[in-house]
Amino acid sequence: MDYFATSFAAAFSLIVNLDPEIMRIVMTSVVISLAASLIAAVLAIPAGVAMALHRFPGKRFIQHLLNTLMAMPTVVIGLLLYGMFSRQGPLGDWGLLFTPYAIIIAEAILIFPIMMNLTITAVNSADPRLVTTLQSLGARTLPMMQQVIRATRLAILAGIITGFGRAIGEVGAAMMLGGNIAGYTRTMTTAIALETSKGEFELGLALGMVLLIIAFVLNFTLSALNRSKA
Amino acid sequence: MTPVYQLQDIQMRFADTEALNIESLVLPANQSTALLGENGAGKSTLMHLLAFISRPQHGHISLGNQLISDKPSAAQRRRIGFVSQQPYLLPGTVRDNLRLALKLQQIPKATYGDLIEQALALVNLTNQADQDAATLSGGELKRAAIARAIAYQPDILLLDEPFSHLDQRHIRQLEQTITQFAAEQDKTVIFSTHDRLQAMAIADHSISLVGGRVTAAPLLNLYHGQCRELLFHTGRIIIHVADDASQARHIAIDPSQIIISDQPLHHSSMLNRFQGRLVQIAEESGHVRLLVDCGELFHAIITPTSLQRLSLHLGDTVWLHFKASAVSVF
Repeated sequence: MDYFATSFAAAFSLIVNLDPEIMRIVMTSVVISLAASLIAAVLAIPAGVAMALHRFPGKRFIQHLLNTLMAMPTVVIGLLLYGMFSRQGPLGDWGLLFTPYAIIIAEAILIFPIMMNLTITAVNSADPRLVTTLQSLGARTLPMMQQVIRATRLAILAGIITGFGRAIGEVGAAMMLGGNIAGYTRTMTTAIALETSKGEFELGLALGMVLLIIAFVLNFTLSALNRSKA
Repeated sequence: MTPVYQLQDIQMRFADTEALNIESLVLPANQSTALLGENGAGKSTLMHLLAFISRPQHGHISLGNQLISDKPSAAQRRRIGFVSQQPYLLPGTVRDNLRLALKLQQIPKATYGDLIEQALALVNLTNQADQDAATLSGGELKRAAIARAIAYQPDILLLDEPFSHLDQRHIRQLEQTITQFAAEQDKTVIFSTHDRLQAMAIADHSISLVGGRVTAAPLLNLYHGQCRELLFHTGRIIIHVADDASQARHIAIDPSQIIISDQPLHHSSMLNRFQGRLVQIAEESGHVRLLVDCGELFHAIITPTSLQRLSLHLGDTVWLHFKASAVSVF
């Protein structure tokens, strides 16, 4: 018990004193997750809006596929990309393995279905008169999508935040593809895993606290968004 | 008559219900037309087709002389302004909404200012231009939606139930806006309503819809039932008809064809004679509308002089007479 309390106090002091290693790991995590969220959002939002607005053969199948991908374990994505990026893999020449880019790609793939699904839900739950009004005002495909995104922006933003939350808490793919290289690909989650395996709790606990704070801020923002939508 | 719309063989079904079945319909250009019908008669479905928001499941529609096979072109879309029954304004101010309409219709940016001011002035909403659309009252919202629809100066204005949920003052304002737009600017206005007198008051002519079909019959005194051997059974009363149509499910009687008297007219050619109680007297558009309960409710229209001569009061017993040939069967 004493040991745990000491570790907790040490962790707290690491955060308060803005320990350089903690800061580096947090920044790596945040930058990687932000980049992954940005890439996923740029692809998932237009795809989600287009899918919600149009009827086409195979739509139901894609919906099922998205639901399946949402539940895909991160280690499976890690495994697949490892195979692609390793020296013998088809993309081995790109030299992406054990770089932050590999983690960004993995996390973007991981959160793409989440963001796309939440965008589809956002558009489907918007006022049904939105689309007919835009149609009657002569909106063509692209302006229609722009206006629908504008009108449902809060719900879509909630989807982006949910995706970011998932990315920053991800550990399996980050470990497999990043290699947990200090100062380069070491993220909060991989650092926690490493520190725990070494039996050193202070740094891991401090990073855990930062993660919890981030999760709290994200959840608080989400509920604020939901309140302003209602 | 120059047609603005020509509809051929239009059919629309939702689930198992026939929403619209129009063999042929021509709507005239540069005039105002009222689409009359009860709730569920197919007015909104027809309005959505005319606005090209939905496509007919069967049949085709021409705008002007051009058949619209898939989607209308940008220029054709620009000819039409549509205001739905419960208009939706996008987030932002009233002006933002008008500006968006102009942008979507690809109107040159330099003209935005003038067009917005003109549209807002026509609906008397200049003072609310910079108000957040979410804070508008029901009447203001409807007027803002009309301003948005006319901002890009379409030559056809489609209004779906524009008078619903409005108080008398706003109804009058809106009637004025519609007549002004139609008459002064020589435009086509097509609006749907269930109020026949209102349609008569502001539209050049009207089209009645019953169960998704176009009928020439007036829509006051509309009864549903079954026809057997020149007798129509509503379930409450039996009405003599002149057309033997066993397939017919509806009849309608023009209120101006109903004769009101305080005594039964025994020596008359009119086959239909009902005794009833006067339950409503209302003045509308210079005429007097009476509502008489004879088992079914009948609307009759008489002149103010007749009302005076018969010295009618609420609760009086009166007699209704009309010819079998005054009954439209469909």
